[in-house]
Amino acid sequence: MSKVIVVTSGKGGVGKTTSSAAFAAGLASKGHKTAVIDFDVGLRNLDLIMGVERRVVYDFVNVINGESTLKQALIKDKRVENLYILPASQTRDKDALNKEGVESVINELKADGFDYIVCDSPAGIEKGAFMALYFADEAIVVTNPEVSSVRDSDRILGILQSRSKVAEEGGTVKEHLLITRYSPERVEGGDMLSKEDIQEILSIPLLGVIPESGSVLQASNSGNPVIMDKESQAGQAYMDVVSRFLGEDIPLRFVESEEKKGFFKKLFG
Amino acid sequence: MQLKGEMSMLNVLHIQDTDVSEICSKLEQKRDEAPQFFMQSPIVIDGSELSGNALEFDFSALKQGLLDLGFIPVGSRNFPPAANNLMRESGWAIMRDQQSTSSVSKSEPVQKNQVKDSPVEESKENINTAPQTNPVAVMKTQMTVDRPVRSGQQVYAENSDMTVLSPTSAGSEIMADGSIHIYGALRGRVLAGARGNESARIYCQSLQAELIAIAGRYQLLDESDTTLKGKPAMIRLDGEKLVIEAL
Ligand SMILES: Nc1ncnc2c1ncn2[C@@H]1O[C@H](COP(=O)(O)OP(=O)(O)OP(=O)(O)O)[C@@H](O)[C@H]1O
Ligand SMILES: [Mg+2]
Repeated sequence: MSKVIVVTSGKGGVGKTTSSAAFAAGLASKGHKTAVIDFDVGLRNLDLIMGVERRVVYDFVNVINGESTLKQALIKDKRVENLYILPASQTRDKDALNKEGVESVINELKADGFDYIVCDSPAGIEKGAFMALYFADEAIVVTNPEVSSVRDSDRILGILQSRSKVAEEGGTVKEHLLITRYSPERVEGGDMLSKEDIQEILSIPLLGVIPESGSVLQASNSGNPVIMDKESQAGQAYMDVVSRFLGEDIPLRFVESEEKKGFFKKLFG
Repeated sequence: MQLKGEMSMLNVLHIQDTDVSEICSKLEQKRDEAPQFFMQSPIVIDGSELSGNALEFDFSALKQGLLDLGFIPVGSRNFPPAANNLMRESGWAIMRDQQSTSSVSKSEPVQKNQVKDSPVEESKENINTAPQTNPVAVMKTQMTVDRPVRSGQQVYAENSDMTVLSPTSAGSEIMADGSIHIYGALRGRVLAGARGNESARIYCQSLQAELIAIAGRYQLLDESDTTLKGKPAMIRLDGEKLVIEAL
């Protein structure tokens, strides 16, 4: 059974595309046939973060319009087996997406035996975001530890549970909270919301916490999903997220500051 | 007393002809432009611009169509009185004495099947003089909400009480014609007695609301000096004043 997973947030710039790329690459590296679709038509950058921007011939909108086949548009990743990228069009806008077109692409991916279809949502709550979440079975809601981001996530959760296809049919979209750009020092200093605060407000299960890390920018500049950087904390945290998603019970890492860790070490270690 | 428009922005659907499926498909387009705005939002139908014969209008089909689209049909207004029975039979509440609002809507440029979010101002007197057989006056069973009410969502219990088992978020709005009980954290707006019932009350386990209101009297919680913020509380109306008491 294939699963459609939307990576969404409401607020822009919180790490949806970074997380979509990492999550899809992680699933594929664990042997699951995975496609990641860029729904940010007009502002495509999933292909950049995945380092395939120079291999784009056809895109998602071409497939929807019948100007190319899905096979022609899907880019097979050269580093990770089982990983495919469907880029967005840079020259169109979100109106080029429609329910029927998106549905036919998703159905064809399912028929082709994809285990996971990851939808990288654009920011906002307008058409593009709506199209990305409409066919989702599960949702990864990306949130930064700040009030406005949490509020927007809350908003998108409401839309997800009332306007998605699953919701329209009386079901529930499975929800996962992914906190990114987490800085334990700033949380302890009171500048940022803690993961407990965020969970208290959103009341959905926590899938993982990704620390703020310079390696994310490095990775995206070099076109390698950060999850492939086994040295970086962000990469390791994303790998934990994938394992947890697949059912493993793994404790959170990188959620305490060095200072606090040192203190506990002295106390108990 | 007046139910203030600023507190419950109702969408008003102006009906111009009798083609229900056409109305619904236009409305669907509108809704899809701003799904978050319209989702589960109360809607009133207005017949002041209807050109066809109101007796030939399929009110049941329209009600069902609106429900299918995710709206909550609240009532109808400005249809010819001859159609009242027809509307009641298909479950529409008839909002009375709307001359003032109909003249307002006539002065605006008329666009076909447009959804407007115009404030509905309805005076309490009108409701009170309605005969007891009016569906508006009949309290239905109560409504239970068991999923979080998220920012941007609006839930309305028409003619009934409401029980919320889950939290409500900042930026959400829950409304009932009767009383409201909230067992999760109450963080959004809460409006009991939405159509003027002054004996309606609000009961909650953790009072963190942005705004509280009963029968049109409202208060921002931040402007209240209550010591019960974050605590279990009951809110009732004492004359013109909202009173917050420990539960
Ligand atoms: N864990 C992290 N640590 C440091 N920087 C990060 C982290 N995650 C994301 N970023 C940076 O934040 C910026 C936005 O990331 P990204 O493009 O993934 O967000 P987005 O939610 O997809 O944005 P948009 O809403 O524009 O689509 C990028 O510059 C990225 O490098
Ligand atoms: Mg993005």
